Amino acid sequence: MQVMRTPRGVDIEITSRCNLRCRYCYYFGNPAVEYRDLPTTEWLRFFDELGRCAVMDVTLQGGEPFIRKDLPQLIEGIISNHMRFSILSNGTLIDDAIASFLADTNRCDSVQVSVDGSGPAIHDACRGKGSFEGAIKGIRTLQRHEVPVAVRVTIHRHNVHDLEAIARLLLDDLRLAEFSTNAAGYLGACRQNANEVMLTTKDRQEAMETLLRLTERYNGRISAQAGPLAEGEIWCKMEEACMKGALPFPHGGSLTACGCHSSKINVRADGVITPCCMLPHMELGRINHASLKDVWQQHPDLHRLRQRHTIPLTAFAFCEDCTYIPYCTGNCPGLAYTITGKVDHPSPDACLRRFLEEGGKLPITGERLEGIKVGRAAKRP
Amino acid sequence: MTVAKEKTKKSVQGKAKKPIGNPTVVLREEFDDWAILFNPDTADAVGTNPVGVAVWKLMDGRRTVNEIVAEIKDQFAEVPDAAAKDVLAFIKDLSQRGFVGYELKG
Repeated sequence: MQVMRTPRGVDIEITSRCNLRCRYCYYFGNPAVEYRDLPTTEWLRFFDELGRCAVMDVTLQGGEPFIRKDLPQLIEGIISNHMRFSILSNGTLIDDAIASFLADTNRCDSVQVSVDGSGPAIHDACRGKGSFEGAIKGIRTLQRHEVPVAVRVTIHRHNVHDLEAIARLLLDDLRLAEFSTNAAGYLGACRQNANEVMLTTKDRQEAMETLLRLTERYNGRISAQAGPLAEGEIWCKMEEACMKGALPFPHGGSLTACGCHSSKINVRADGVITPCCMLPHMELGRINHASLKDVWQQHPDLHRLRQRHTIPLTAFAFCEDCTYIPYCTGNCPGLAYTITGKVDHPSPDACLRRFLEEGGKLPITGERLEGIKVGRAAKRP
Repeated sequence: MTVAKEKTKKSVQGKAKKPIGNPTVVLREEFDDWAILFNPDTADAVGTNPVGVAVWKLMDGRRTVNEIVAEIKDQFAEVPDAAAKDVLAFIKDLSQRGFVGYELKG
């Protein structure tokens, strides 16, 4: 696999602080992570290195990026090094001043705000009192200043019945062009609250059916890279292929799911470089101590991750006798690690066979799936 | 002036200009010697081959297009006769997309 000379993009956990404590947050509650922030100067020095490496864009996440008082200064550092940026946020700390600043940079690809309910009762249930009002206010503030707004809806047990109303709010009332969806995954804080927030098999099925129906109604304005909508599309194609005895999918049969490490890398809030925010335990070096280019090109753990696609699913007892192997990619290594303790393992959470064995039913197949936008560059929660 | 003479005059003037790469634009070179020119202000990106990379590096506001073509012929083997036209077209495309400007006289 030909690797780029340097990463094209970098995800940066610019802070470990957040004003919320969402019950399914993937970020907090990880024993492998030291939750501390770096001073402004450390980040600015790192951005200079990114400039020398010709990195094209950064995604600022956390934690909650807008909690940092020096955020404008950090963004100036990004801009002066010829990069564009996006921000992942809960939206509650966005005011006119910062929105105006973001607009004036002309380099902001988007601010993604999380919205998990059509109203405070559902959204606040997992995110905290007042968070819905804050998120909507943040969105409207960004819109007023013409900052591109993206919205991510994380689907969990409390909002799975609210999806139609959420779509109406986002696409009709707030007039967003589109929004993306994901599901609460067995990571971080969600592990402690899994029984309360994670989707059951029945919930997953309902979410798939609802989202597929909504996608048709809203003409492709709902997208997903993971979660029930993505699963609905991919699993139906796998089921159809299996029924027809079709040839293996081009990337099927091996651990090919993750391609992030071929173009991006992640940095934790404490400055430790990791392959991705879903693999925070894989420490590759520290910014301003290790050369980013050397880590990218030479670190053995990253090299091993890039060879993951050569591991056939038939090598795993978990996949024994599975008829979907030729069409399956094994899904996210981060989820695989958190559930099995192994990065080089298919993710049990994204297993079609398991879903069916647990009583799940696939909603629809055929031409109705063709228009669904899956695999777009939707951001992580 | 006839249309043909006007076209020739413009062509000659085009090759006499001294192009400058937009300093905001980033050149990302890859292992296979291809590269991406990325304009962070517009998010526009252009993929280019090794000859395009060489042309980009020569656009420092001190060389005319003709001089750039001459240097390309020195750097690369078997440069076709149409090179001058191709280089001018490449620079013109970059100029229209905001990647390149021209040195102002005076």
